[in-house]
Amino acid sequence: MATRALQSAIYELADALDVNEHYQQNGWTDGLPIVPPTEERVREFLDAACLAPGDIIGVESVRQRPISAEKAAINVVMAGCLPTYMPVVVSVLRAMCVAEYNMHGSTASTGGSAPLIVVNGPIRAALGMNATHGVLGNGNRANATIGRAIRLVLINVLGCIPGQIDRATLGHPGKFTFCLAEDEEDSPWIPLAQERGVPAGASGVTVMAAEAPRQVMNEWTHDPEEIAETIAAEMRHNMLTYSVWAGNYALIIPKQLRDLFVAAGWRKHDIREYVYRSARVLRRDWATVGKGTIVARGGGPDQEFTALRWPEDLLVIAAGGPAGGFAAVVPPWYGARALAVTQTIDPVQGDQ
Amino acid sequence: MSVRVLDPTVDTSPAKAGATTKLTSLAGRTIGLLDNGKINVRPLLDHMERMLRSQYGVRDVVRLRKLDFSRPVPAPVLAAMQGCDAVISAVGD
Repeated sequence: MATRALQSAIYELADALDVNEHYQQNGWTDGLPIVPPTEERVREFLDAACLAPGDIIGVESVRQRPISAEKAAINVVMAGCLPTYMPVVVSVLRAMCVAEYNMHGSTASTGGSAPLIVVNGPIRAALGMNATHGVLGNGNRANATIGRAIRLVLINVLGCIPGQIDRATLGHPGKFTFCLAEDEEDSPWIPLAQERGVPAGASGVTVMAAEAPRQVMNEWTHDPEEIAETIAAEMRHNMLTYSVWAGNYALIIPKQLRDLFVAAGWRKHDIREYVYRSARVLRRDWATVGKGTIVARGGGPDQEFTALRWPEDLLVIAAGGPAGGFAAVVPPWYGARALAVTQTIDPVQGDQ
Repeated sequence: MSVRVLDPTVDTSPAKAGATTKLTSLAGRTIGLLDNGKINVRPLLDHMERMLRSQYGVRDVVRLRKLDFSRPVPAPVLAAMQGCDAVISAVGD
């Protein structure tokens, strides 16, 4: 039987403010204040996910760094989570330890990605997650602290400290937190996790190493092809100005544009097919963005690149507030070098 | 009343490994050159190979390559390194 004893060093400090100062001074945070990880609180979080302190949630395979349940729970407490969030964080970490996610490469790279987390299923409502107003912004405890907990684990357990293992040149605000729920109640579309193999009625998380979201707007049409074309144009722009390599793109579609797609009979599948065909650039197009020197390389000026390797690379997510003809394109860190991974949240742990 | 809190970190310093004996000379040695797939590695390593052969009297140069710089060296490439006296990995940027 696994031991219940906690192994981490214990610090005795005057009060919560002192704890925060101590952790800040040691570089154990993302720069924001933390909640003191007391023994009692950490045990409560482990219990919420049915984990023993020594259980290994996953291993970062390149540097052979195991993530123990105890260290994860300490960081989840620090992030400001409630114990009920713990199973979601554990599922995200498990997904990130899958080889295709490329955790080391994507967290160490100068490209500066952050894990984009999408939560599906009944656990969203159980945790009160936000899928509507300002879904990529502030305001919801679960969205904010689940994403933050992942960042604190990366910092404290895997050493992804800026300038050390984390070599990001710029990074982006999603490195504080980058977590949303899909608006399943207000969408006729199949939820993302279900499309990617999680059984209907179960909860799941999808994680991908992502760059910052790029917001688009088209309030000047009801034609689904024209709306999809605006989205594809943003992806083409990303291919030219950032990275041309094909891989997973996330596409977040709020209600106003979603309703227009739905009224026209478009499902997620139709959006993916359109974008796959349209989000393409030729090598010559680089000349239009100041990258003319590479037009003659590779396959020459007429060489074609696609944003997606195939239509299924596009992760379509129904989320966002009700008003405004906006959508967000979230590009991959580096094409298919890191892929989105979906993980079922154990229903025993997650939906009690 | 004080607060007792837990350390959130683990020791991420590399596992202790003994340093190998430094080569005193490259003459007569077999040197591996690992191309990690980054841009312009090949011309850099081509130049190094010429230098090693013409100026340092190496016995042989073994060109090694991994297809993805963000992932570990595949086992066959690692095995090929075993026959080298030293390996130069390029490039980090």
